Amino acid sequence: MKKVLLVLLIALISMGIGFSDNVVLTVAAGAVGQEFELCKEAADEFMKLYPCVEVKVLETPDLATDRLGLYLQFFEAKSSEVDVYQIDVIWPGDLAQHFVDLYEYGAQDYVGNHFPAIIENNTVDGKLIGMPWFTDAGLLYYREDLLKKYGYDNPPATWDELEEMAKTVQAGEKKNNPDFWGFVFQANAYEGLTCDALEWVASNGGGTIISPDKKITIANKNAAEILEKVRDWIGTIAPKGVLGFGEEDARKVFQGGNALFMRNWPYAYSLGEQDGSVIKGKFGACPLPAGNSGKGAAALGGWQVAVSKYSKNPALASQLAFFLSNYENQKTRAIKGSYNPTIMSLYQDPEVLEATPIFGSLYDVFINAAARPSTASAPRYNEVSTLFFKAVHSVISGEEDAMTALENLALDLEEVTGFEVVWE
Amino acid sequence: MKSKKVNRIIIKSIFYIVVVIIFIYMLFPFYWALNSSLKSEDQLMQSPATFLPRDTDGNISFYFENYKNIFSNSTFVRSIGNSIIVAGLTTLISLVVGSFSAFALGKLYFKGKKITLYLILSMTMFPQVTVLSGLYAVITTLNLAAVPSMILSYMIFTLPFTTWVLTTFFRQLPTEIMQSAQVDGATPFQTFWMILLPLTAPALVTTGLLAFIAAWNEYLFALTFTSIEPTARTIPVAISLFSGTVARQEPFGEIMAAAIVVTIPVVLLVLIFQRRIVAGLTAGAVKG
Amino acid sequence: MAKKETGILLKRQQKLALKLLLPTFIILALVAIYPLADVFITSFTNREFAGGDENKTEFIGFDNYISLLAFTFVELPPVLDENGNQTIDSKTGEPLYERAIRVLPRTPYRFKEMSQFDLFGKRYVVGARNPEFLNAIWNTLVFTVTSVFLETMLGLFIALVVNSNFKAKGALRTTMLVPWAVITVVSARIWEWMLQPGNSGFFNMLLFRLGISNGQASFLTEPALQMPSMVMVDVWKTAPYMALLLLAGLQTIPRELYEAADVDGASKPKQFFSITLPLLKPALAVALIFRTLDALRVFDVFQVLLGSKMYSMASYNYFQLIQNRQMGLASAIGVIIFLFISIFAIFYMRSMGVEKHEV
Repeated sequence: MKKVLLVLLIALISMGIGFSDNVVLTVAAGAVGQEFELCKEAADEFMKLYPCVEVKVLETPDLATDRLGLYLQFFEAKSSEVDVYQIDVIWPGDLAQHFVDLYEYGAQDYVGNHFPAIIENNTVDGKLIGMPWFTDAGLLYYREDLLKKYGYDNPPATWDELEEMAKTVQAGEKKNNPDFWGFVFQANAYEGLTCDALEWVASNGGGTIISPDKKITIANKNAAEILEKVRDWIGTIAPKGVLGFGEEDARKVFQGGNALFMRNWPYAYSLGEQDGSVIKGKFGACPLPAGNSGKGAAALGGWQVAVSKYSKNPALASQLAFFLSNYENQKTRAIKGSYNPTIMSLYQDPEVLEATPIFGSLYDVFINAAARPSTASAPRYNEVSTLFFKAVHSVISGEEDAMTALENLALDLEEVTGFEVVWE
Repeated sequence: MKSKKVNRIIIKSIFYIVVVIIFIYMLFPFYWALNSSLKSEDQLMQSPATFLPRDTDGNISFYFENYKNIFSNSTFVRSIGNSIIVAGLTTLISLVVGSFSAFALGKLYFKGKKITLYLILSMTMFPQVTVLSGLYAVITTLNLAAVPSMILSYMIFTLPFTTWVLTTFFRQLPTEIMQSAQVDGATPFQTFWMILLPLTAPALVTTGLLAFIAAWNEYLFALTFTSIEPTARTIPVAISLFSGTVARQEPFGEIMAAAIVVTIPVVLLVLIFQRRIVAGLTAGAVKG
Repeated sequence: MAKKETGILLKRQQKLALKLLLPTFIILALVAIYPLADVFITSFTNREFAGGDENKTEFIGFDNYISLLAFTFVELPPVLDENGNQTIDSKTGEPLYERAIRVLPRTPYRFKEMSQFDLFGKRYVVGARNPEFLNAIWNTLVFTVTSVFLETMLGLFIALVVNSNFKAKGALRTTMLVPWAVITVVSARIWEWMLQPGNSGFFNMLLFRLGISNGQASFLTEPALQMPSMVMVDVWKTAPYMALLLLAGLQTIPRELYEAADVDGASKPKQFFSITLPLLKPALAVALIFRTLDALRVFDVFQVLLGSKMYSMASYNYFQLIQNRQMGLASAIGVIIFLFISIFAIFYMRSMGVEKHEV
């Protein structure tokens, strides 16, 4: 009832405003071809509901640092040009001061449908900074045909199993194909390494860099152990070039048929299944292996919709945000674009499951995904992440000894955040 | 006698070998981009990489979708026109304003020459990143549209360049020409416009080319200033917005196709016009 | 009488000069003064980029500069065993010293280890508050010197060939326009693709086909291969600039001088050194100043190809601004780059005697 009244009120207001000019809402979304199309379609639907509103969808660069740089320029100038922003899962903490609290505009009605972990991630000091739009989590991709060929029935459940399988298969395949490697992942010095490394460390009982109660927990033996293990993989089961790999580089190797295992986001699944792909029908995806903790960990990715504090029409923009992230739109995006929904019930929707069967198995992964400590370390998450991935990079490239690097890292993090370090 | 001839042959052959190596070094990446632009994503993932686009059976197979896609991308097509306008105007203004200043600094007598030169140079001694937010603030305060903001910002880098290079060339011109023209009754400005400027034709063309390509290639400022004005996007920005069909996917083939499409006309235009412009300008100076 | 005339002439020239310089000054005032002043002022504050409404920007004096540049030397005491002798590591046979992290100062600011060296039998560790930035300075300087040297040599060669009567001249002139015309951000990606580890990258494929290596060289992550790759990519793009500038300089040298020298029987190399080089000096000086300036400011190639693996001063600046949002620090970096460029510019002016042409 409240919702209907709100909608009516807004419709009245917008009709009132709309006598001279349409209200223009601008959404800064991605540049991705299909994503852009879907966003425009959703915008058109919104415009049908609110005839006096014009929604413009703005493209932004794909490269994350460029996009962030652009957003920061807008915020620095306190620009009212863009009303709704598509923000990465790690930005709510750092950028909270530039966005409105969606609870003020009726978000309570919607939050219950979404994954709690994501809602928690998007809540800074009790304020809801962004509505979850679509989510992502790290997966282990594996070549079913090769595993069978070498006598393995199931994908690995632990990192040690992965290492063993990779060694065997690689030794066999390299005889015919010098480009074949056991395991490819993202180890370039960038945010992606924070994701991969978080998965390694958390799955080995090493914590999540900074715990939710704001303690720096990274300097521990489990973390050092797994990082040294990864360091030993590079050059043996993973190519040295992996130190410069991003998501696309790893996908190119795996999709070209030159790797047994790959760690990547769900997007690679549909691309690998396209016609023309060498690995079509030969691969599968499963949760990442476990380490000492007994459970695998998947880094939480995904994007949210947030409303700018400098917008001239925050109430209307919030409605747009709720609309874009609602059940129908997430369902359309799931079916047409394989975007992983954040609304839990969609994972049981028969149409969605028919379009992307893998979503069924992904549900558990998403429920248990490990978020990067962006909210705990807000507003300095970017600095924290940079320090972390540089430390990890120096360990796995053999430049620095693991325990020293982690101790240095802990001290650096203490300097940046002021939190207490938990020494082992 | 014989050893001298052998010597010369050796030197000549080494010379030609060096030239060939330079050819390969300069042209090869372009060829590789051309090769990649005709490959589909799966062909690009093949290892070892092929010199000609081939499919999995080894037969030659060209893939034209990349070119089709970029031409159906209206942002890209429009960006070509935008880049021409922005780079062209930047070059024109830099040359005109720069040559004025260069004439003053190179041929006229006044106090404070050194300081002026250094002041002009100091404009350009900062990296772009550092001045970006300050510039953005200026632009938003003055409420400038994207195209004028880009042109004005590029001045920071092209104007000192044209000024300094042209000053050097003006200095080298013999003063007798100026003096004889003044004896003939020409004002300093007329001397400048009708005599000295044509004599520095090669310098004008060169600085013009270099200023043009600097503006043509600029990405950071263009990205920021056209962020809310999509119709004014220039080529580097349009290319950065290319995306694959799925999130995170990068359409490498299309980026390569865009590079080819943009490079070839530029090279051809320069080849045609460079000779014409230089000839035209020097013809005007051929006077007693 | 003559003096009075020259006086009037001088005044007229000064007036004209002012008029001619006016457009430049207007543009300068409009576009450059505010941003540059902003940079200088911000470098003395702790301003945050996109800091929002809270006015927490404070004036902190030279703190940014000190935190970027401070470094120190500390002696590393050896690890002693029970007898008071220095322990030797059983695995490597190297004498053991204390871990640097224990010895370097921690308060009020932490100094991180940069490198170690031996002097007079004792080991010292170099610590810095910001080793990344100091490394970035070093990387940029090495890059600048190497790249400018190579592009000058190559550019000079190309310019000489195009300016002469060699048969290759037309083809070379066209060829050199190609790297010049390819959009920089794309050319960086082309080279990145060519430098890919694994046989889908061109260089590895070549090395593999020639049997030199197994085709898995990772150019952009192996420390020894990173800088040469950067230089190769940059020289490819910048040699044409050099060539074009030097060509324009060569074209202003009157042919008669060479003809006269031929008549006198001077050899080609002698002509080059006694005619070409001296007359080319001014153009060479300007070309060197601007190319060095651009090299010290290098950003695109480092950001696209190396990202956070190896920084140049400008790419470190960018990352500080965008990822850490430390605008004060980033501005200080900008000012430091400015100072480096000034030093080089003054050095060039002095050594190439360009100032002597002062009228």
